[in-house]
Amino acid sequence: MKLFLARIRNRWLQARMKGRSIADLARDNLSALDYIDVNKDARSFGYVVVDLETTGLNLKYDQVLSIGAFRVVNARIKLGDMFNRLVNPGRYLHPESIKVHEIVPDMLSEASPLSAVLDDFLDFLGTDILVAHYAAFDLHFLNTSMRKKYGFPLQNLVLDTIPLCRNIAFPPHHYPYGIDLNSLPSSLDEIAKHFGIDIFQRHTAIGDALATAMILQRVIARSEKIGQGLLKDLIKAGALFLS
Amino acid sequence: MSRYPLPRILEFMRTVEPFDNMNEDELHQMVSQMEIAYYPRGQIIMRHGDEPSFLHIICVGSARISIPDESEEDILVDVLGEGETFGATNVLDSKKSVFDIAADEDMIVYLLPAAVFKDIVAGNPEFNEYFSYSLAKSIRAAHKYAERAVPRLPDINTLNLDMFLIGKRVSDLMFTDVLTCTPEDTIRSIARKMTDRQVSSIVVTGSSSQPLGIVTDSDLRSKIIAEGLSMDTSVDRIMSYPLYTIHPDAYAFDALLDMSRYNISHLLVAEKQRLAGIISDHDFQMETGSSPVGVIGDIEKSQAVNEIIGMHSKINRVLEMLVRQGGSVNRMVALITELNDRVTRRIITLTQQEMEAEGLGSPPAPYTWMALGSEGRREQTLLTDQDNALLFLRRPEDDQEKVKQWFLLFSERVVKSLVKYGFPRCPGGIMASNPRWCQSEDDWEKTFMGWINDPDPFTLRMATIFFDFRPIYAETDFLENFRGSLNEATKANSHFLRSLAKIGLANRPPLGFLRQFVVEKSGEHKNKLNLKIRGLAPVVDTARVMALDVGISATNTHERLENLRDMDLLEANLYKDVREAYDFINLLRISHHLKARSKGELPDNFLDPEKLNNLQRRMLKESFSVINRLMQELIEWRYQVHSLGEA
Repeated sequence: MKLFLARIRNRWLQARMKGRSIADLARDNLSALDYIDVNKDARSFGYVVVDLETTGLNLKYDQVLSIGAFRVVNARIKLGDMFNRLVNPGRYLHPESIKVHEIVPDMLSEASPLSAVLDDFLDFLGTDILVAHYAAFDLHFLNTSMRKKYGFPLQNLVLDTIPLCRNIAFPPHHYPYGIDLNSLPSSLDEIAKHFGIDIFQRHTAIGDALATAMILQRVIARSEKIGQGLLKDLIKAGALFLS
Repeated sequence: MSRYPLPRILEFMRTVEPFDNMNEDELHQMVSQMEIAYYPRGQIIMRHGDEPSFLHIICVGSARISIPDESEEDILVDVLGEGETFGATNVLDSKKSVFDIAADEDMIVYLLPAAVFKDIVAGNPEFNEYFSYSLAKSIRAAHKYAERAVPRLPDINTLNLDMFLIGKRVSDLMFTDVLTCTPEDTIRSIARKMTDRQVSSIVVTGSSSQPLGIVTDSDLRSKIIAEGLSMDTSVDRIMSYPLYTIHPDAYAFDALLDMSRYNISHLLVAEKQRLAGIISDHDFQMETGSSPVGVIGDIEKSQAVNEIIGMHSKINRVLEMLVRQGGSVNRMVALITELNDRVTRRIITLTQQEMEAEGLGSPPAPYTWMALGSEGRREQTLLTDQDNALLFLRRPEDDQEKVKQWFLLFSERVVKSLVKYGFPRCPGGIMASNPRWCQSEDDWEKTFMGWINDPDPFTLRMATIFFDFRPIYAETDFLENFRGSLNEATKANSHFLRSLAKIGLANRPPLGFLRQFVVEKSGEHKNKLNLKIRGLAPVVDTARVMALDVGISATNTHERLENLRDMDLLEANLYKDVREAYDFINLLRISHHLKARSKGELPDNFLDPEKLNNLQRRMLKESFSVINRLMQELIEWRYQVHSLGEA
């Protein structure tokens, strides 16, 4: 149902953008939903699993420092097909955040601002399905930049690994009646630990993106095992639509 | 090249043999082309018959390698864990998987695409060696499967060599709908029948439908065209007989061996005198297009010594391929010997022709070319040098000096051609070109009797080589009489046998106190085991001594042991164990040779026990202790070697 609304919104946007001169990359993004056939096997789609490192957790003030992403095709992570870029936030880095992401100002001196990196990311993303852990966070930064530059948010289908895990990958015995869902693992560390995934470089965009991609693999494998291996099953379990 | 953003992946790859030797750039390059897959427990990763498109490197979890069995549970072959790989040999040889491979636990696997992997191996020859190393294990697994395999219905489309080598029976491959005719039928009518049914052979049967002969399409072509026979000629004029038959339960490999041995393209399958089917060499064509049968045809057709020498690499390839494909060791070495015999025989024939053409004359007396040592025992592996001798008949009217000179000249040419072909000279000079080993029959008899009656260390060593003789090229059957008188002489001579037994006991299997391997203490092969001297020779020597003692004329070790068992001189269970042990050590040795060859090194018999996996090490120890038992129980008891002093 929500996908249906998203499609209508996308149609309307496509109509609105018709005739306007916008960059090819942005125009290509407009057609992202055209490739979505919900009745196909989830594994048959291409996914871009993304993670952003930011100057902090405040959606309003903080800025993107790096973008890391891997492509997953046929439920396999392509180790050579990655996106790994530093982003110049154009502002002062708080020492506390440097402790987390270990990106120091010197490293950013040659990095481009987000508006420039965004184009490269759009090029990498293409019309694939975007996946992130707590996707609303990452999507917020990407869409802010998209809106600023092109006037509309990313049109790709977006999946969030947190609800995907809860609804599909965690075994049902995690859900006896009345148990608080919040007690389930939800941080990247917890989920990775639950699956026995060793995060290679925690708090680097590329390392977290790889861990998230590996979580997506578990979700796909599990969904197939329980007979919910179609894209519509993943959408039902964990799609993120803008309201 | 910039650093790979995830050094931990490179670090992991550095723990995986043989990639641990690659440098940073190479690893980076490789990792960039890899993929990560996740397989939940129980998921089938690869099925028997699949052609894998990746080398699989296990990062987390374990894989269960098994052989599918329709009737019972799968047969577990191996469990692979983190840092181990699978699919390498299949990718490298573009071979279908023999095994079913499933995730035994949840698995994270790095996938290296086939094309990339092949490139890497091409650029790192030592990788080749690494990835063919688990061969012994696979061969053994395949062998185990062969023993237990239940015959299945043949699928004509998927027939290939590996399939039947790992246990196909003749009944799986044979064609049951055999076309038959009577001896009175005309060539015209059978040619029509064969064309209509699109088969390459027709069996001629008698009144009570017993098979009398066979006509193949090549018979039709050659006999009608070459001999200009009329199409109305009756079939019995052109049919081939006697017929070679094989039992439906025989291994397909045996059929291949028989075809090679008799140089025929069809074998009848018969059970209790009844025709059950037919099997032809078409069923044995390998993917590469050259079958052992085809190679034998080429050897027989060759018209010049140089032509055979030029075929060396091709024959070698076929042999190596056969050996790599596995199967029973005994059959492998039998096939190697068969091909080597044929090459030698053809070189002898052609050398004779060439000498005649050069005006050097034909052999001045009937003679026999003898194979000695391992060749005499039909136990050759890919590592083989020459051990041969020549025996000619002394006739009163001949000028003995001239006769010997001719044979020496002839032998020198044959030996040289054999060297050029790829059988190195015997370092001990045991070759027919050596005047000592190119003698008349009565000189040979004198030599042998001298060795038997007055043994010393040198002659005993010679006896172990020479008494395993076998005619390779024989113009008369006098070697059989010769064997008979040798048997008579040894049977009576307990002093000689005891001395021979003592020599045999000098090579005890290398198991020390607490069953540790006893390795070479020093020198080039320090800390290594000599598989041939310490493992195989004791069995060969024991079998020889006992065979000579009781007058068994077989030279092949397996046959000798079998005869001894039949004579109740070897307990049936010990016989079975010894056979297994002997084959296992031989298998290790052959795979060790293959490993050296793929490295481009000269193969030797020295194996580092540290390089074996646990299972292999255990089996090797087991094998050595079985051999020890054989020597203990039989030789020491029967020949009271200790009376001759400490062995």
